[in-house]
Order: sequence, then structure tokens, then C-alpha cells
Amino acid sequence: MIHHHLSDEMILAYAAGSLSAGQAMVVACHLDICPACAARVAEAEVIGGALIADVEETAVSDDLFNQILVDVDEAQSFPEPERTGASASGDLSSSSYLDGRYVPRLLANMIGDDFAAVRWRTVGPGIRQFVLPVPSSEGEKVRLLKLSPGFVTPDHSHHGSELTLVLKGSFSDDTGRYRVGDIQDAEEDMHHQPMADTEEDCICLVCTDAPLEFKGVITRLLQPIIGI
Amino acid sequence: MTAGQLSAMLVALGEHHDRGAFRQLFDHFAPRLKSFYLKAGTNPQMAEELVQETFTQIWRKAHLYRPDKAAASTWIFTIARNQRIDRLRSEKSFVYKDEDFFASKLVSDEEQTTEVHRNELVERVSKAMALLPSNQAEIVSMAFYDEATHAEIAQKLSLPLGTVKSRMRLAFGRLRNILSEVEA
Ligand SMILES: [Zn+2]
Ligand SMILES: [Zn+2]
Repeated sequence: MIHHHLSDEMILAYAAGSLSAGQAMVVACHLDICPACAARVAEAEVIGGALIADVEETAVSDDLFNQILVDVDEAQSFPEPERTGASASGDLSSSSYLDGRYVPRLLANMIGDDFAAVRWRTVGPGIRQFVLPVPSSEGEKVRLLKLSPGFVTPDHSHHGSELTLVLKGSFSDDTGRYRVGDIQDAEEDMHHQPMADTEEDCICLVCTDAPLEFKGVITRLLQPIIGI
Repeated sequence: MTAGQLSAMLVALGEHHDRGAFRQLFDHFAPRLKSFYLKAGTNPQMAEELVQETFTQIWRKAHLYRPDKAAASTWIFTIARNQRIDRLRSEKSFVYKDEDFFASKLVSDEEQTTEVHRNELVERVSKAMALLPSNQAEIVSMAFYDEATHAEIAQKLSLPLGTVKSRMRLAFGRLRNILSEVEA
């Protein structure tokens, strides 16, 4: 059961195609298992369609249609293979979701479907990360974070946004408890201290668009090492 | 042409690659899609190339179109958006390449929406867009047409990022209310 969903502005921006690559990736991974948010994206796409329906017309070249016919006739001789059931969008029965972890399709394309096989790098006691090879925009970083049970993230605030999707285990902070499938959109002025709150590791997909700012001297000293 | 007619054309195209239907869809949507791409800052030649690629995709994917899930304009918007991302924002294309969104289970199958409803939604949203406060409408259209991120919109309008986000939220909230009235 998902309790923390995407904000309206994220849904709208995703439907418009205007999110950054990293944010769009985290959003798409949530949509993969959240029919409620997926339905909201479909609503937002109605807005896109309405804008297309209402935009003024610009004349196109006379022979454009004929060129397209040439293209489709060529395409015809190489028919697209029928889709197999491979795309399991929104398939809540997928076993990987039921056993308390969830590897979204987009992510599985990059890392496979086993978190144990990921080449985790230790960034500090109780915290490991894997930076994903996402072609993201400037300043943006997309990574998997793995927090050991009981690990408390250093108290920090955000210069930019931090979008987090829980893939395994859970964490808590002042704003609530986040479990598998839940999303947290920590806005610019938010200040928090997430803690992995069960007996198992907490694995999250996180997109940040600016380095975080930690409170306290020790953590500030650690920051260059942690690199988050 | 009415939204219902456009839907029917798209279905005919999907069922038996009806060239007459394809031509009618082209005549209706191509000049609009060209404007859509021009607004994203492409030059006229590239806009036409994008229209060309989009219609090739429409031809290939029309069999995935379900009139009870989306109006023709909504479905064509998603194809056009993905095409724009492929060409202009390649870093994002790995996210959006799953074009058969509407064929997937994402929109729940139990939903009792009819084709008529879908088309009516688009009309209602069009009318509602015109009634949005201009500062909200501006931000929505910048996101959809200019493909500007929140941060870019904030910069262009010299507004705090939080203001951009809250205006988007307000606009979408209003439009969603209108959508839910129709669906109820
Ligand atoms: Zn959701
Ligand atoms: Zn944070």
C-alpha cells in the first residue's frame, strides 16, 4: 500500500515532458507501481492534448504527407514485432514487489533485478551508494542509497530538491514513514533527518539537483567524503 | 472535425491502416503539431521533420490506441511529446520511450469511462484553461510548449521556484476538479 504520492506539480511536469532526466526517472519508477498517480498523469496528458487541439495552425509543406507515405511504406516492409507481455507496467502482482523490494523496469535495465549484485560503494559507516549512469542535467545526481538498519542520515537541509523513492525497507523522518513504493519530495527549504527504521537495509532511489547542506561540524567534515 | 470523428479515424487507422483516415488526421493535426514544435524553439524545417516522424509513429502505433482510454488529441500529444524528447532532449528519452503508455495497465481497466467522456474531458479542459488566472495558465503552457523545467520557468519569469510550483499545483488542482466533475 502506497501512502506517499507525487505532488500535482510533479505529475504535471512529467506529463509535459519538462522534468529533468533524473527526476523523470524517479517519477517513472513510481508510476510503474502506482496506478493512482498513473491515472493522474493520464489526466495531465489531457491538458497536453487540449493545448494541441487549441493551438493555432501553421501551414505545412505541400509534399509532407507524401513523404510520410513513403516512410510508412518502407516501415511496412519491416513490420514491428508484436509486443510480448514483457512490459509489465503497473503489474502489482510482480513477485519482486510482493517480497518487500521493488526493482522498477527502468532501473532493472541498468542494474539487473538484484540489489545484492549492485557494486555498492561505502560512503560512511552505515551508508552505501551506487551512482547510476543516468545522463542527467547539470548538478543533478541519481543514485541508489543503501542505509543500514537504524542508520540516521546526518541532519541536513536542501539547496535544491531531493526526490526519493523507497525500493526496499523503510525510513522515517519528521514528515512520516516511507515504505516500499512511497515517494518523498523534499523541497528546497526542507530540513530533515531520515532514519532507516526496521531490521533490514533501506534502499532508495534518490535524485538530487544540488549538494545537501549538513548541520554540525562532524558531518560537515564528513561531507566531502560522503559526497552527498 | 469533432473529437469523436478524430477518435474514429484513429481507430480505423489502427484496424486496417486506412489511408483516407490517415490523411484526415494529418490535415487536422499536422499544422497544429508544427506550431507545437515551433513553440519549443525548433526552426521550421526541423518542426516539419518532427511532424513527419510523429505521423510515422502514429501510423505504426495506431493499433495501440484505445478510444475509451484517451481522446485522439491526448494520445497524439503523448506521441508528439515523446518524439520531441527523442530529438531535442535525448538525455530524457530513455525514460519516455515506453510509448504504448495507454496500452499498458496503468489506466485501470475497471474504470467505467466511455469514449464520449474522454472527448468531453478534452473540451472541458480547453474551456477551463481559458478561465485560469493568466499567471497560472502561463506556467502550464510554458511547461507543455516550451518544455521548460520548474527551475527554468522560475528563472525566465524571475520568480522563486516555490511560486512556480505552487502556481502549477493550483492550476492542475483546478483542472482536475473539472475533470472529476465530468467523470463522476
Ligand atoms: Zn502514487
Ligand atoms: Zn534530504
